[in-house]
Amino acid sequence: MDSSDLLGGARRRPVSAADLVVLCLICAAIGAVVAFAREFEAPYTQAIQIDLSPAALPRYTLYSLSRGVIALAISFLFALVYGWAAASSATGERFLLPVLDILQSIPVLGFLPGLVLGLVALFPSRNAGLELAAILMIFTAQAWNLAFSFYNSLKSVPEPLREATRIAGWGSWQIFRGLEVPSAMPGLVWNGMLSMAGGWFFLMVNEAFQLGDRDFRLPGIGSYMSVAVEHGDRRAMILALVAMTAMIVSVDRLFWRPVVVWAQRFRLDDSAGEAPATSWLLEFFRRSRLRVRTHAVRHSAVRTAKRATQPLRRSLRSANRILRRVPRPRPGRALLIKIGSGIGVLLLLAGGAWGIWHLATLLAQLSLPAWGRLAEAAGLTFVRVILAVALSTAWALPAGVLIGKSPRASQFFQPFIQIVASFPAPMIFPIVVIGLAFLGVGLSVGSIVLMILSSQWYVLFNVISAVAALPPQLAEAADVFKLTGWRRWKSLYLPAAFPALVTGWITAAGGAWNASIVSEYIEVGGGVRTTLGLGSLISEATAKANFPLLAGGITVMSIIVVGWNRLVWRRLATQAQTRFGVTQ
Amino acid sequence: MTGTAPTAATPGTGTGSTGPVLLEARNVTQRFRLPNAGEFEALRDVSLAVREREVVALVGPSGCGKSTFLRILAGLAAPVSGSVLYRGHPVEGVLTSAAMVFQSFALLPWLTVEDNVAMGLTAGRDLKASDRTAVTRAIDLVGLSGFEQAYPRELSGGMKQRVGFARALAVEPEILFMDEPFGALDALTAENLRAQVTELWQDPQTGVSTLIVVTHSVDEAVFLAGRVVVFGTNPGHIREILDVPLPYPRDPRAPAFQAMVDRLHAILTATLLPEAERPAAPGVPTRLVGFPRVHVPEVLGLLDHLAGREQESGSVFDIAEQLAVDYDRMTSVVRAAEQLGWVVTPGEQVRLTPAGRTLVAADTADRKPIVRSRVAEHPLFARVVMMLSEAEGGALDDDEVLADLTIMLPFSKASMVYRTVIEWGRYVGLLDHSTRDKRLVLVQPEAPETAEAGGA
Repeated sequence: MDSSDLLGGARRRPVSAADLVVLCLICAAIGAVVAFAREFEAPYTQAIQIDLSPAALPRYTLYSLSRGVIALAISFLFALVYGWAAASSATGERFLLPVLDILQSIPVLGFLPGLVLGLVALFPSRNAGLELAAILMIFTAQAWNLAFSFYNSLKSVPEPLREATRIAGWGSWQIFRGLEVPSAMPGLVWNGMLSMAGGWFFLMVNEAFQLGDRDFRLPGIGSYMSVAVEHGDRRAMILALVAMTAMIVSVDRLFWRPVVVWAQRFRLDDSAGEAPATSWLLEFFRRSRLRVRTHAVRHSAVRTAKRATQPLRRSLRSANRILRRVPRPRPGRALLIKIGSGIGVLLLLAGGAWGIWHLATLLAQLSLPAWGRLAEAAGLTFVRVILAVALSTAWALPAGVLIGKSPRASQFFQPFIQIVASFPAPMIFPIVVIGLAFLGVGLSVGSIVLMILSSQWYVLFNVISAVAALPPQLAEAADVFKLTGWRRWKSLYLPAAFPALVTGWITAAGGAWNASIVSEYIEVGGGVRTTLGLGSLISEATAKANFPLLAGGITVMSIIVVGWNRLVWRRLATQAQTRFGVTQ
Repeated sequence: MTGTAPTAATPGTGTGSTGPVLLEARNVTQRFRLPNAGEFEALRDVSLAVREREVVALVGPSGCGKSTFLRILAGLAAPVSGSVLYRGHPVEGVLTSAAMVFQSFALLPWLTVEDNVAMGLTAGRDLKASDRTAVTRAIDLVGLSGFEQAYPRELSGGMKQRVGFARALAVEPEILFMDEPFGALDALTAENLRAQVTELWQDPQTGVSTLIVVTHSVDEAVFLAGRVVVFGTNPGHIREILDVPLPYPRDPRAPAFQAMVDRLHAILTATLLPEAERPAAPGVPTRLVGFPRVHVPEVLGLLDHLAGREQESGSVFDIAEQLAVDYDRMTSVVRAAEQLGWVVTPGEQVRLTPAGRTLVAADTADRKPIVRSRVAEHPLFARVVMMLSEAEGGALDDDEVLADLTIMLPFSKASMVYRTVIEWGRYVGLLDHSTRDKRLVLVQPEAPETAEAGGA
């Protein structure tokens, strides 16, 4: 979701050798997962029954929420490890960053069948495997931007702070814990909010989907909605939407607001002018005496211990001084690191070769007409994605400027839009499809509407924040020189919004590609509505357990998305930043 | 307190202290790789021995590598060649018996004053019993008691730097490094803290034996140091070492202090405005001289200021102080004006030349052509113009110009020089630059003689 990688990583050539290697490795991973799934065919098991009564809904909502929270926790751990590895060595940076860039832009949903089959086979207890698969799928929607955020924070820790910790004798673990993680906290929290919202996107599919003749289902709000749609139970559908909204609002109010306020203390810039965000919940926690008390107890315990060791202190202290003066030798660490990274590279290459071979055997099973169908489908979906982004821009750009230029409007709309944007659009797809069918619009055009539903917010948010961040002097200058109406938009708002608009486009297009998988192939009221497209081919291949087609679909989509990012978006982003960046 | 002993040694060889050598740099050379290929040599062959109970100040123009040298001494960076010895043993990694005070304070904003001060004691872990007394003592020493639970955000700059000092003193460092410790503070606060630093150094309670301070301010160096090490640029090296045999505490108004300041001024001027750097007469091929990285209005402002002064001249230091400009910056501006022939610099004095007078007298519209003719004659600009006129279409890609500048001026950062060249070239209508195409373009002049070259 974060496009800073595209800006920061912009080099002269759009595709480098490292990128090609990375692309091969990704293809290998796809092949490996799909192949793995084929070999471990689990025995058929009856899907669990979903209770459509309202009383069961709170329980289901909590199930889904805990999956999201567990996935977020895993994502944080992943981000810390991955970001640190990428930031701490030049080699790591060269390989890990492009991998991340690709991972966040390819349709990870395509991995779901393989993952589910593999994990179900791995765990004798059916639910454990399914649960793990669902959590991992949510994880794949949450982890990448967090890792980018942590990497960027690590790279922007001010050098004097690093030097201060080093000269204070901190080891790398202490620096990580005491400097690097705290200074990354505001960014991590902000991206955590985005990740949480992004993680709900495929909730329905993650909790209930069919693979061949098998029905995999987990208790949760997503599966509740799927079953409600399947049965055409309108009351249950509405209840599910209400429960989802309630969950999003309460997570925002009860969890994120306090955390955002708490994270303010980790800001590195000293500007005291900005009023800190407030949260009633944090205020509540702050006023409670509990925290202070535990703190005091800890300190008095320390003091007692201190008194007991008083006689030893002086001798320890002088010994310590002598010890600390001796320069510490550092034996052959460089050699160990070299051997370790050498082994790592070899393992990676071996895994890559194995995976590529598997993917190649899978793809070789596709007939020439199948490839032709893939190409046609890819073209159709490509046009839909472009149209969705264009139409999103058509309404969200003017709306974003209007909201962004008035502080009052942005204050009023922002929380509302944030909630709406966090809502997983696929959950209302079935309702929209029924509505469109009523109007006589088929899925071929209708899927564009569905893509817009899931990608418009990126454009809107980015434009609002860019226009809101415009230095007030520029608006005043426009007033003084009587720039009004269209001239004001042309010379002030649109150029100022452009870099953010490009960022919005990048994420919106990514969202639209992802959405194609669930918008070109929809199960409504027991039947399946479908239109030709890459997304529907992938969904269809999943439903029919056609693994060669699935692998082909994912590969084609990955190549299109990554290639487009490299060749078009990245150039545009660099151009936009150098020409229209207000900060420069 | 051996630092007070007046040792009348000759500059360059003398020491302010007679104690054993604590920290020694031997033939230290440091190079950095630049983004546009090539390397930047920050230090070449620097050797310095620092003794116990000494205060050493490192001064010099920006880019002379004094901060880099400080970091190498502290073990924060390793030199490309040469070595640093602590009590005769080579230093590997960060020097454990040292602490550092930073210009930007470098406090962790999420830790209280107390926890920041404890940074060096706890190495990031929880406070131990014995550490708490050391923290309290250090906070008392800098006069911050009562602020233990405050966060850095709540403190003024001066208070923050007190925390910086307390953090350094808490570990009872043998060597205290200071990187422009008062640079970010206002004049009053800086003076107050400066006086405290010598007190702290003399206070046996602190355990500090040696101070090594990087500073921009001549007064500060003379106020604090027993020895002042003057660095020169291109590449960074030690120009001269000045002993300051004045007793502590020093009185900045005392004649002896002022005499010492004047001496240091003279040395610095010789470093910053070396007589050899004057451009040779036009037409004579000479080693290419870099152009200081200053802006057009700065140079014109200096000339305007000089024209208003008595005898159209003044001391570089006085002018810098009067205009509230960094001394370092002022010398760069003076150098640029001198290279363009508008001022001369006998000793520390800056005087307007007749050419400079003509420029000042001209009105805004007439100034550009005058500046233009001077800039076009400057060897660096002449070289760039020649390159462009030989190129097809009178334009070159940024990469090509940068590569050439890197070769011509090996000790300067080519991208910075390039930015200055573009600014001056644009101002006088000699060059134009397209950010979009990343190309430098020669503006076709009306004058016939250069037009010929452009067509070639």
